[in-house]
Amino acid sequence: MGFLAPWFLGGLAALGVPVFVHLLRRHVTTPQPVSSLMFFERGTQSSTRHRRLRYLLLFALRFALVLFIVLAFANPFLRRAAAGANDRLLLIVLDNSFSMRQGTRFADAKQQALSTLAAKSHSQKAQIVALGGQLEVLTQPITDETQLHAALESIQPGDGHASFGELGRDLRALSETARSPADLHLFSDMQRSAMPANFADMVMPPNVKLILHSAAQGTTTPPNWTVESVNAPAELADPKDPKRSRVQAVIAGYNTPAATKSISLVVNGKTLATRKVDVPANGRATVEFAPLDVGYGFSRCQVRIESGNGGADAFPADDASVFAVRRSDPERVLFVHAAGDNRSALYFGAALDSAAHASFVLQSVAAEQATDLDPSKFAFVVISDAMSLPSIFEHALAAYVAKGGNVLITLGTAAAHHQRIPLWGGDAGEPRDYARNGAASSVGVLDFSYPALAQSQPGTDNGGWADVKVFYAVSVDPAHARTAARLADGTPLLLEKQVGEGRILLLTSGFDNLTNDLPLHPVFVAFVDRTARYLSGTEALSGERLVDSFVQLRASTHASTQSAGSVEVIDPDGHRPLSLSEARTAQSLRLERAGFYQIHFVNGRDAVIGVNPDRRESNLEAMTPDLLALWSGSSPGGGVPQSASAADGETGYRLQSFWWWVMLLVLLAAAGESALASGYLGTLREDP
Amino acid sequence: MQRFLDPGVLASISSLDLLAKTVVDGFVAGLHRSPDFGFSQEFAEYRAYTPGDDLRHVDWNLFARTERTYLKRYRGETNSQLTILLDASNSMQYTSGSPSSGPPAKMDYARYIAASLFYLAIRGQRDAAGLIVFDDEVREYIRPSTRPGQLARLFAGLEHAEARARTDFAKPVLHFQNFLHRRGIAILISDFYESPETIVNAVAPLRFHGHEVVLFHVLDPEEIRPTMKGSAVLVDLETDQRIEVVPEYTKTTYRAKIDAHIDDLRDRAHAAGIDYQLLVTNQPLDSVLREYLTLRQAGN
Repeated sequence: MGFLAPWFLGGLAALGVPVFVHLLRRHVTTPQPVSSLMFFERGTQSSTRHRRLRYLLLFALRFALVLFIVLAFANPFLRRAAAGANDRLLLIVLDNSFSMRQGTRFADAKQQALSTLAAKSHSQKAQIVALGGQLEVLTQPITDETQLHAALESIQPGDGHASFGELGRDLRALSETARSPADLHLFSDMQRSAMPANFADMVMPPNVKLILHSAAQGTTTPPNWTVESVNAPAELADPKDPKRSRVQAVIAGYNTPAATKSISLVVNGKTLATRKVDVPANGRATVEFAPLDVGYGFSRCQVRIESGNGGADAFPADDASVFAVRRSDPERVLFVHAAGDNRSALYFGAALDSAAHASFVLQSVAAEQATDLDPSKFAFVVISDAMSLPSIFEHALAAYVAKGGNVLITLGTAAAHHQRIPLWGGDAGEPRDYARNGAASSVGVLDFSYPALAQSQPGTDNGGWADVKVFYAVSVDPAHARTAARLADGTPLLLEKQVGEGRILLLTSGFDNLTNDLPLHPVFVAFVDRTARYLSGTEALSGERLVDSFVQLRASTHASTQSAGSVEVIDPDGHRPLSLSEARTAQSLRLERAGFYQIHFVNGRDAVIGVNPDRRESNLEAMTPDLLALWSGSSPGGGVPQSASAADGETGYRLQSFWWWVMLLVLLAAAGESALASGYLGTLREDP
Repeated sequence: MQRFLDPGVLASISSLDLLAKTVVDGFVAGLHRSPDFGFSQEFAEYRAYTPGDDLRHVDWNLFARTERTYLKRYRGETNSQLTILLDASNSMQYTSGSPSSGPPAKMDYARYIAASLFYLAIRGQRDAAGLIVFDDEVREYIRPSTRPGQLARLFAGLEHAEARARTDFAKPVLHFQNFLHRRGIAILISDFYESPETIVNAVAPLRFHGHEVVLFHVLDPEEIRPTMKGSAVLVDLETDQRIEVVPEYTKTTYRAKIDAHIDDLRDRAHAAGIDYQLLVTNQPLDSVLREYLTLRQAGN
């Protein structure tokens, strides 16, 4: 028996209270004069004896009450023999993240895992789990050694980024349903970058004992250079455009000396250019290739660190970063505006020209002249405050959206005269004329995860939107639509609605610099650029992604049932990762491998996407022994006193806390004391 | 109007003279008789004349009507003598009340009794009255007298009677017999914290000498029915001895003991021809005065 919180035993000093009350306090009673003790003499002794006998039970109850309360807080436990080794689940977790490709790490780790599996008894259950970009449970808890061995052998090094935090979270969730004790053997390189920001996330549940098997050789971190990031256009219209036709790459070194590295730009297997760059010790250097001379169509590009110079690289697998560039003629964008509004097209076109990553040509027409236009010839359509469209054109637009076209609608002052918003399927609400009240509203809430507003680090100025003043906006019911931005008073500013295969974005203010001053702010260019790429779909067609990111294959399941087409995906190995049924129904695709994915969408568009491993995997620094000891020591519940049955694997015992039984005794003692004490009080109130 | 003032109210009267007058006049007014009545004027009996009787006592009116000779007898005109023996031991200081409220101390209550009896005896009955203050010895002795100024001397003696020392009945009673030559009424006022046998044995000789003896047993209400809230250390006022007592004991055993003591003392006193009166300090004084008049009437 022991105590999980022994410092509470200091409360035993409170036992002095009943002792004082019952045994000591009588000595400090104030003397009272009486005429004579003639009738008290012989009665005193008997009365004291009588009192002692009567109060003995009360004293004992009070003493026990204090004692039990202190014991309950000290959380006593019984050390019981733990479940036998055969009763404990053997959980083998093999790290197959990208960093395990370094040297013989993965092979060593797998060999250790196989040895551990072979050492288990025949009756002990085991489970095989692969820790890559996500936790992949390969078997159920079984005793079949052949199946377990096969599952373990089937694990191959992947390109994902392991996270010990995700491991801890998943196991804690698992322990909520399965409380049986388990020994978790983790075979990993214990990469420091796999640690979550919060150490508590990786703490194991109380019933899991963590045993670490490090696959990293030696105690020093091997030197490693890597292409940390590449900034290249996904779409390129003119290779001679100096603003867009260039590739910037950041070369980073981890635990490396200063070195000069040769960096090559390879396009479709052909080295276009090679640059030498001085990379400082443990530092970063930027290299730029310009122009990016690629032919029409998709080009599979990569920036590569040439081997053989500037010192040995311990991890060559991360020396290249791939990306895809699609060269095409500039896509046309149809801008439909109200008859008297030429300003909107001017501002929008200027922003579109300034955008760095896309190539578009804006075709601006008045609403009345749009009758004969075919929207399908445009990358996307903008309707700027044109509330009244020719019916033929509106019908063509609706068909365009249903087939996967995208439309951006802005609402200006014309919305005050026309309730119906074309294509949107709803009416315009009350206009919010902030200028009439002598003030302007500001942008309150922005969803920076929304593609048109995407910013990784918005900053304190609300991503540059803080200074934008909105003088006029139309209140639109956001039902069935995603609200990406709201004004300070809650009025929706940017809405998106899925219609058929296409999308409709609704900006409840205009681009004319009258209803707001957004066109005058730098964030307008970025907003137009992202919106154009988002609506044109070019963002999904080329460029680069990280391993374990997702690509949306279809707009909605509802539409997929009606469209008979299927998606065709070819992974970097030339395989088709989707089955036939999945190709007809899958909403999205998880990019599991590094390399180039080739995708043929339902709407007939093709995409080539370069996928790179998470560059956190390139930092091969391992967790310190202190951290490892803390992690493995945190699992048996030593610091988690609330655990009812903490596993104590080191000694083969488990701790059985029984503080609730002590609390039950507290309750009984309190009830008995109350009853007895109230009985005495009743005697005292009795009048002669 | 309240006929007999509450002892707590009497405690606020500083003058014993005024206090005694207040008590006695109130008592006498309640009797519906003249305060000037005299027993010596009262007819007692007729008795047949026998040779040798004083002819002055023959009722000649009766002889004229019946031609029979009868003697008319009256109650004697001899004044009685009242002697109060006041216990001034330390235990008589006890009171359960506070100086501003509650019953007076037993000593003060005894003073009220004595003063009222002196006033009634001297002013009302023209009796001689005297005082003996004692504890374990005789502290003060005022000879019974009817002289002018006797009442003032008695009141002064009462004022000077300070409670001290402890009670010893045997020793002072020997002296009483030396002082009390003439038969009369002897009233012993005390709290009688002594064995009833000892008390009666000490007082009984007075009775043998022809005295009408009365024991006024003065006790505080708290001494008869203690109401302790919790265990307490009790200090004997006379011996300074300390004993711890718990409430349960005072509610049971103590009450039985004090009741037994009172009953024993009463029984032994009556057996010895001694009157006994229990006086609780929160009771009015009329029973005291009534007792005196009864004794005086019986004595004559």
